[in-house]
Amino acid sequence: MTSAIELVETVVKCAVVIGALLTGFAYATWFERKVIARMQLRVGPNQAGPAGLLLPAADGIKLFFKENILPAAVEKGVYFLAPVMSMTVAIMAFAIIPLADAVRVPWGDGWLRFQIADYNVALLYFLGVTSFAVYGIVLAGWASNNKYALIGGLRSSAQMISYELAMGLSLVGVAMIVGSLSLSEIVAWQKAHGWLVVLQPLGFVIYCVTAVAETNRAPFDMPEAEQELIAGYHIEYTGMRFALFFMAEYIAMITVCAVAATLFLGGYALPFGIEVPWYLDLAVLLAKIAAGMFVFVWIRATIPRLRYDQLMDFGWKVLLPLAILNLVLTALGIYAYENGLLG
Amino acid sequence: MLDPYTPVLILGALGVGLGVVVIALSFVIGPRAPSPVKEATYESGLTPIGPGRRRVPVRYYLVATLFILFDIEVIYLYPYAVRFRQLAAPVEAGGQGVGALASMGVFVGVLLLGFVYVWRKGALEWD
Amino acid sequence: MTMTMDVRPAALAPADVAARAQARFPEAVTVDAHGALVVDRAALIDVATALRDDFGLAYLNNLTCVDRPDRFDVVYHACSMAGGAPVAIKVAADKANPVVPSAVSVWAGANFQEREVYDMFGVRFAGHPNLRRILMWDGFAGYPLRKDWKEAYFEGAQKPFNSRWPDGAFFFGEEKLTEWKSNAKYPRGYTATGVEKARPDNTVMVLDAEDLKHAPDIGSERLIVNMGPQHPSTHGVFQMQLVLDGETVVDLQPVMGYMHRNHEKIGERNLWLANMPYTDRLDYIAQIGNEWGYALTVEKMMGIEVPDRAEHIRIILAELNRIQSHFWGVTFLLNDIGAFFTPMMYAIEEREIILDLLEMTTGSRLMCNYMRFGGVAYDLPEAFLPLANTLVYDRLPRAIDEMDSFLTGSEIVDTRMRGVGVLPAEQAIGYSASGPVLRGSGVPYDVRKAEPYGIYDRFDWDVVSYPEGDIYARYMVRLGEMRESLKIVQQALKQLPGGPIMGGKKAWQIRVPEGEAYGRVENPRGELGYYCVSDGKANPYRYHVRSPCFINLTALGEMTKGHKVADTVAILGSIDIVLGEVDR
Repeated sequence: MTSAIELVETVVKCAVVIGALLTGFAYATWFERKVIARMQLRVGPNQAGPAGLLLPAADGIKLFFKENILPAAVEKGVYFLAPVMSMTVAIMAFAIIPLADAVRVPWGDGWLRFQIADYNVALLYFLGVTSFAVYGIVLAGWASNNKYALIGGLRSSAQMISYELAMGLSLVGVAMIVGSLSLSEIVAWQKAHGWLVVLQPLGFVIYCVTAVAETNRAPFDMPEAEQELIAGYHIEYTGMRFALFFMAEYIAMITVCAVAATLFLGGYALPFGIEVPWYLDLAVLLAKIAAGMFVFVWIRATIPRLRYDQLMDFGWKVLLPLAILNLVLTALGIYAYENGLLG
Repeated sequence: MLDPYTPVLILGALGVGLGVVVIALSFVIGPRAPSPVKEATYESGLTPIGPGRRRVPVRYYLVATLFILFDIEVIYLYPYAVRFRQLAAPVEAGGQGVGALASMGVFVGVLLLGFVYVWRKGALEWD
Repeated sequence: MTMTMDVRPAALAPADVAARAQARFPEAVTVDAHGALVVDRAALIDVATALRDDFGLAYLNNLTCVDRPDRFDVVYHACSMAGGAPVAIKVAADKANPVVPSAVSVWAGANFQEREVYDMFGVRFAGHPNLRRILMWDGFAGYPLRKDWKEAYFEGAQKPFNSRWPDGAFFFGEEKLTEWKSNAKYPRGYTATGVEKARPDNTVMVLDAEDLKHAPDIGSERLIVNMGPQHPSTHGVFQMQLVLDGETVVDLQPVMGYMHRNHEKIGERNLWLANMPYTDRLDYIAQIGNEWGYALTVEKMMGIEVPDRAEHIRIILAELNRIQSHFWGVTFLLNDIGAFFTPMMYAIEEREIILDLLEMTTGSRLMCNYMRFGGVAYDLPEAFLPLANTLVYDRLPRAIDEMDSFLTGSEIVDTRMRGVGVLPAEQAIGYSASGPVLRGSGVPYDVRKAEPYGIYDRFDWDVVSYPEGDIYARYMVRLGEMRESLKIVQQALKQLPGGPIMGGKKAWQIRVPEGEAYGRVENPRGELGYYCVSDGKANPYRYHVRSPCFINLTALGEMTKGHKVADTVAILGSIDIVLGEVDR
């Protein structure tokens, strides 16, 4: 009985989260266009609805009614698998984000957690699932039988796995300080002790840089570098198939922002012990995600792209040593703290 | 209690379902008027010379290999990191004190050694 | 770093060169009525080498051909880097079997120009490394600039190609007027892919076939990739065929002509003055310069003096034009290295205001049609001076400084530009590079100083040059030139005299006396030259455009080899081509 209720609860939660992510994706595109336009002395979307707010809907409808062009030379199974896989993986990574504090409800085990899954290995889960994202891109590049797509796919595989390393290392510090890999415990810790960005500034910076690289956003948007590869791995995709890749990219952006907020910026909690009612927790987290998205857009509007070899150099020769340094510093700091050396 | 991984499976299934439905729906709604030119591989408007799938330079494989090596080491750090505060506590408080630092030092040292080796070997050069 | 040219040794005057060359090669060299050296075919390479090495004519400005009734005259213009007018060299070729030795070994910059002459006139160049059509497609029948080749729809007894539309379903309005009527016919069994299959090898590379299969030691394969013509960053319908080893460019061959419209043939059909608006269509980012070059050349032939006010107006508009063109060029280069349009949008805002000035003066923002032989078409309107003064004293300097401070110091801009696409000075001269590409290679050569036209010699300004020869240097040259242009406009606005804006005597029909002239201006993209031959008739006998973009591309392959794919786009952006001028 309990488990049936839990099952229903879980399915509803999943559906709500997917719906929210899709809405988030749609308005992230609107937000990006609007913000970039403002940064470029333009107005941005303003025709479809007030302030262009209906534009994402119009885009969606347009994409559904696009002609279905299926290139003759593609590897059909893989070709269709790639976008579905990209999007699914992006959505799955979001499962571990605690959206708000749990509240008491009269059903199930009595608690409603605003989180799909609370694992004690959530960080590892996050790293594992995001590293799956590379498959969608590589498979798309390979299946398309197109040279631009192939180069884009190769670049992205090398890029994403390289930055994956530094990302993994940059989060070790968090685990060391909190002593847990569970995101809800990390948030609870921050609620009690303050934001982790204060203790892990270097880790935060490394995480942010690698997050931009992991989501293939400017200035690390190598795989789809418009200037040379035109559209990179999704060059042979039209209509909704193309939109799925886009969805994956934006949902991944939302996820990495949410993870940054959760791990380093207190998650759904406000700093300095300010308490808010449980229904505002979500708003706090959303505000932090929106701030992160703004930074993504801001970077894209501002910075030119790195070249591929420079990007790899930066990942391996700068970020990786820095992440190791961060690890060592954190270890020394904890040792000093635990042994009372800090006074 | 549900199995802890059921929610993720449900989420994944919904995600796959969404993808399949979206693609299928676009096939139902979208027009389709195939022609050999439309279905040709795009290469800036010209017929591609040679196939699009080729054997690729070995550097990419090298990166993949290095990634696997280092990533596994990073993953091994996590269990250790979670317990580090207890381990780093002074011996009288039940920890290992300097021993915790030393053992982690050895592990990171080995990692660094490998890193310096591939760097010196030129595996990180892109030209 | 800026240099002035005053320290360089004075060059020989063209007449001196002619006299000395004749003295040295009495058998092979004569001097014709226009002061050009007429060189014997067999001795061309010897004479050219001597001209280059001993008489200082290191730089090949221009290479073209004139179809005379009894012969082809291949015409070379070469000049000294120390300044002064170019010397014309002519070589005659048989009408029946036109072959001339290739000058590529002497001036590497002859490469594309000889291919163009071969393409347009059918003159073959013995010893050319890759003599094939360049603007027309391989397999095109006929040589369009020959006098016996008739222009379809206008003169023609033949039509060069069939229309693409099957079953004659589509016709052009002109077809009703011609003898072919609706002549649209596909070849039997035509499909777009079918025709491609008929020519399986559409590679334009000069490649070792084995080279392509694989690098022997690793077993990875190389890719031939087409970038362009339908590509977002080739600045138009320009194609680069690349051989890639992973990310590294092994070889690059530029392919052009997708926008070829035989500008020169049209020019030879047009009346002298009626050709003026057509010149706008060459480099449509720098329209005033195009017109000025053409006006200058014809004025040379007609011997007209341009009144002072007109000269000032010309210089003001041309320099404003250079500023807006460089705004465009610099920020598109930023786009090419991956900035998402932001610098471009800010630059275009300034550009629009300059175009406002052009519009209020000439009536058009891009296709100005403003110059006349002997002056300009309209005087400056009243509103021009206040707006121009605010612009050049206040707004533009600020905009340039702002751009400089935001872009120049950026780490990514630095790493993407420095040391990439290096063209050493000797090579730049050899390849006949011009404009910012030449000056970015440390050669402070500017036509405005080297052979001052208009009234450039009256103003105080410097030639901007950077020695590195990479993308960064070209970028810095453009930034610097914008500041120098501002200096010139400021001085010109201050001294702007009154008086007439047209010189020469009024006439309904322009008569250009028999003769020939090569006139050149420093356009934002380099040395824009016009070579015109008049036989006294109402239209030019020969009208040739020396396109800086086209010739700068000669060095593209050399600059790109060994760099990454992403760099090709950046290097192309640093040459800053405009396809209207490359393809003509």
